[in-house]
Amino acid sequence: MVSTVLNTDVKQKDADHAVVIAVTSRAVFGSGADDDEVYGEGLAFPLLQALQRVNEHLLMNNPAELLLFDIVLLTTDSQQQQQSPRIISSTRHYGLEVGRFCFSSEEDFVENLLKNNVQLFLSTDRNEASQATQRGVLSALLDHQTASCPSEQLKVLFFGDAVIQPDTGPTPPSRQAARSFSAQLGEMQRRFTMSDSPLSIGLVTWRGGRDSCADALHTLRSRGVRVDEAYCLAEAPWGPILSVFRPHFLLSDGFGGLEG
Amino acid sequence: MVTMSLDPVQLMSGQVSELKVASSSNGNSRGLWEEKEEFDREHLGLPAKPKPPKPENAVTIAVSSRVLFRTEREQKVFEQKGVEEYLRYQIEHENEPFAPGPAFPFVKALETVNARLRDLYPQSEELFDIVLVTYNHAHVGIRLINTINHHNLFIERFCMTGGSSPIGYLKAWQTNLYLSADADKVREALAEGIAAATMFMSEKITEVSEYQLRVAFDGDAVLFSDESERIFKAHGLDKFFEHERENEDTLLDHGPLKGFLEVLGKLQKKFYAKGQRLDCPIRTYLVTARSAASSGIRALKTLRAWGLEIDEALFLAGAPKGPMLEKIRPHIFFDDQMFHVEGAAEMGTIAAHVPYGIAQNHNPKQNASVGK
Repeated sequence: MVSTVLNTDVKQKDADHAVVIAVTSRAVFGSGADDDEVYGEGLAFPLLQALQRVNEHLLMNNPAELLLFDIVLLTTDSQQQQQSPRIISSTRHYGLEVGRFCFSSEEDFVENLLKNNVQLFLSTDRNEASQATQRGVLSALLDHQTASCPSEQLKVLFFGDAVIQPDTGPTPPSRQAARSFSAQLGEMQRRFTMSDSPLSIGLVTWRGGRDSCADALHTLRSRGVRVDEAYCLAEAPWGPILSVFRPHFLLSDGFGGLEG
Repeated sequence: MVTMSLDPVQLMSGQVSELKVASSSNGNSRGLWEEKEEFDREHLGLPAKPKPPKPENAVTIAVSSRVLFRTEREQKVFEQKGVEEYLRYQIEHENEPFAPGPAFPFVKALETVNARLRDLYPQSEELFDIVLVTYNHAHVGIRLINTINHHNLFIERFCMTGGSSPIGYLKAWQTNLYLSADADKVREALAEGIAAATMFMSEKITEVSEYQLRVAFDGDAVLFSDESERIFKAHGLDKFFEHERENEDTLLDHGPLKGFLEVLGKLQKKFYAKGQRLDCPIRTYLVTARSAASSGIRALKTLRAWGLEIDEALFLAGAPKGPMLEKIRPHIFFDDQMFHVEGAAEMGTIAAHVPYGIAQNHNPKQNASVGK
């Protein structure tokens, strides 16, 4: 069973221009005591706030701006679904700029994503992210190393090893989604100057050396993305990069996430 | 992808010499035989470049783009016209490689040592690992990579932090030495226990060896702590000598570059183990204003107690360092006093300032210390 509830507290975004991002409620809200009315903040809470800040800046520059993040809160956990009023009231309590609430089962949540024109799906569940990716929805895995750092800027890290186009092999179904999402990020960046951008985009390449990194920089540039920080690791440990850059999420063309 | 790397076709058609003239303004281009070696490797299907070592095994040298290359023109654009114009300029000139900067000869010498180490110990990762660490914006990345390719440098790791502090990365990669044009960044690194020094572009640079890495160190506040300098500053030369005499058998405390001398020593021992002491491609020098007969003894005893060998110790007893350095021609000379750094640079020595210790609180021109 699939249901969508509009959040009447929030002005709905223009479907033709908005960038729809779905986040699982499991990631946004921590557990609260049963008696509490409101959930605690989960690990993706700072991420949501950062997305909201980008919207605020975009609207400050242009009150008629249509290129905005449209956040969908997705609940697949049947236990949480029973708590749907609490999910909605918690969202309102924190003033989160969530446009819609989607409730569905594990079996049909991907349909839900597709129907809602979701351009990026963020989950703490590897299985969910993998399923969505296979159906062509760009996904990223959230965990405690990412997502949860409070920051003035939305920090997105591209994993360059996946950005470089391989010459052979089938194109991953989510590649097109990755291309268009990054192009939209680039479009958002162009609304700002360097010194006042609420968006910070990084690139990290792990395998290969400087030429791989150069390739990835060229590819992202061709998509209109302006990379602010670049790290070419040549197989050096990348834990330090994550802990210093503190991305909210990691994007690779196929499955996003911290592999290996 | 646009690269500036040499390829076999260019080698064969003699275009190599044109590229070399452009990049070797200080005579430090690779010999033709080295480039032929690279061509042969590609020809035989061997991997063109070896893999960089793991950071924990290597001696990690982090250099900023402003000391590895000459970027004065771009700096000016940044200062006069702001960051957007600066980035636009960089992208416009993306295919123009930067010219070598003050740290370039040092980095080339490190690569020479690596080549020798790889010959003797093909499986070992105890090598120099050169990392480019820059506050620069990643927009400049492509131009930097093109430049690295053009000069055939072996740099496969870099951080372009777009303005944030790279100190976290320096620490994570266990950086053994950080060279930057910015004294504040250098001070930040020193405060975190990372050996670091500021380098400056000077117009006159004398030729340095292509076969032997030469590193020269000042003593007090560089290899050793600044404790003795403090005595001199507070109480004068006589008190300084008295203090050194009384404490001759007490070891000096260590200074910020002691660790770097130590890792150089470890690599030197690898050459000695293969019978290459006389032919060792690393040579270290102590160039100090201390005098051999008196205050120098404490310095030597300290080095010996630390188990550190230094190839040549030059006790100048207060004489100017410039002429001696001009004879040594180090790839880099570390000193804590700008007075000495500037003096060395005037004579064409590549000098780096270590902003550490008591000498930093004084005007450099007043620091013409004699009995340091």
